[in-house]
Amino acid sequence: MQRISIDPITRLEGHGKIDIFLNEEGEVANAYFQIPELRGFEVFCVGRPAEDMPNLTDRICGVCPEAHHMAASKALDALWHVEVPPAGKKLRELMYSIFFATDHTTHFYALGGPDFIVGPDAPAAERNILGVIQKVGMDVAGKVLKMRHDGHYLIQMMAARRVQPNWGLPGGVSRGINEEQRKEIEKLGRDAIEFALFSLQAFRDIVLKNKAYVDLILGDIFNHHTYSMGMVDANNRTNFYDGMIRVVDPDGKEFVKYAPKDYLNVLAEHVEPWTYLKFPYLKKVGWKGFVDGKDSGVYKATPLSRLNAADGLATPKAQEAYDEFYKTLGGKPVHATLATHWARLVELLYATERWVELATDPEITSPNYRTIPTAVPDEGVGTVEAPRGTLTHHYKTDSRGILTEVNLIVGTTNNYAPIAMSCKKAAEKLIHKGKVTEGLLNMVEMGFRAYDPCFGCATHSLPGQMPMEVRLRGPNGEVLEVLTKNLA
Amino acid sequence: MRSLVLGLGNAILGDDAVGLRVARAVAERWSDAEGVTIAEEERGGLALLEQLTGFDRALLIDAIQTGAPAGTLHHLGVDSVPTQRTATAHGINLRMALEMGRRSGLSLPANKAIAILGIEAGDVLTFAETLSPELELAIPPAVEAVREWLRHEEDA
Repeated sequence: MQRISIDPITRLEGHGKIDIFLNEEGEVANAYFQIPELRGFEVFCVGRPAEDMPNLTDRICGVCPEAHHMAASKALDALWHVEVPPAGKKLRELMYSIFFATDHTTHFYALGGPDFIVGPDAPAAERNILGVIQKVGMDVAGKVLKMRHDGHYLIQMMAARRVQPNWGLPGGVSRGINEEQRKEIEKLGRDAIEFALFSLQAFRDIVLKNKAYVDLILGDIFNHHTYSMGMVDANNRTNFYDGMIRVVDPDGKEFVKYAPKDYLNVLAEHVEPWTYLKFPYLKKVGWKGFVDGKDSGVYKATPLSRLNAADGLATPKAQEAYDEFYKTLGGKPVHATLATHWARLVELLYATERWVELATDPEITSPNYRTIPTAVPDEGVGTVEAPRGTLTHHYKTDSRGILTEVNLIVGTTNNYAPIAMSCKKAAEKLIHKGKVTEGLLNMVEMGFRAYDPCFGCATHSLPGQMPMEVRLRGPNGEVLEVLTKNLA
Repeated sequence: MRSLVLGLGNAILGDDAVGLRVARAVAERWSDAEGVTIAEEERGGLALLEQLTGFDRALLIDAIQTGAPAGTLHHLGVDSVPTQRTATAHGINLRMALEMGRRSGLSLPANKAIAILGIEAGDVLTFAETLSPELELAIPPAVEAVREWLRHEEDA
């Protein structure tokens, strides 16, 4: 096969591109995946006061601003070497749990759920949230909207602004809550638990009782035996807000557990000439290509990998759901990427239970929610679990707290290599003797949707609706066929 | 009649902020117009639904990329080629969001009562707090287009 050079996607193009190369027999030899990337963030930030970062970085993402706000706030704590008082930590985690519940709800019903609840073979026009409403019942639309409304309302109550919070400071937060607010947060949290239980039951009734769907989940097409990453507390239970980062190997055995500040000792980035994206991998294992297995440094950071990396969940109903998840899917770890949608619902239940736990904590209305920093700032790393994966903010400043260096690893960045592998695997299954099987684009998108990826989502539409172009190339690089979706 | 003028965009992504800038310019001129709400939104999809609830008509202003010269104004509807934020935010476009809202009993403008003013953008992928010169020049005609829309509905 001729060596072809592929230029990375140009600056002005705004859609995703997949180049699939066929060999002489018309079978897939390679697939290359490119998406538009937001650029120049470090340049944009250097020279600004670090305290701007919680309110600046929450604009990077159109759906998870709270995640960036929280990671930035924690980076500021580390930068100024200040310990947040217990009430401040609990308030942050409470707001974060509310956000997580809201976000996972939106993703499941609008993006991931349609693949299963309506069915992967349903016409495209039905494979969306309206199809879900049709199947689950008209009142689910109201429940989803209520969850979003309640979540955004409470986040604004706590953090002073509806979606892009204005709240995190080095050493804590800018305001607390009173008893009246606490009661409202608790009440809506209990509603949210019921909604999470309802969602899991809907999944059981519609998906798990349908053998075809279970076979799809467990099928080989998106099965990747990689390392799994997630944040855990002192008991190795998943925690979205704080803890150590734990990575387990493809067999489920702990490979490393590290403090966020040590991420550069554990992770490195691999560069490919055909994309601006960089592919994080585990340094100690090494980069062996876009391949599975214990000897490959590729890892995943998703709801599924968080459950794999943990020994359980810290709230009772979620722990039962966790046990059911692994019992049904044949034990730990699970590598079926499509099971990520189910994992997301298990996390939804945990987030809502944790919401109520924190809302009923005796310290939650304490006025002692911030420690004023006194140290000179220099360098700090803040990590949280974003809904889409482990999110890290790393800042360096001068002695005045003016930024000199910024590095972010957003949730989806961790998953660039597995996503590329899923694209290739889908192509390999569906393209034979040069013929593209109907549904290729949808199968590729199904792979994306499980990761709920943040590809420049601050400005752009996403897979599911992402403008996408798939180019099929022959062994000499000649374009044989072009499939497009959502391109004007 | 309750009218909404909603600027969409991302304030730190260069030309992607144009919708927000136009909304601000409109607010400076007509902030006290009766029955008119002028707002800004940095999300899309279901978030638009939440903004549109309770209004009889709406004009959304957003960046768009069709290949036309930067600064070109496009007069669109709900069924037109989507702008960045009417396309989706993790999985739901404007048309779908409206349908979902109506099925849930929300009070929303009819599709034909929702207009979209798309402003052709240059770079929306590089972080910047300023618009390109072409987009700065597009703001006054865009504000005029909003004025026309408001006046047209008053006459109607």
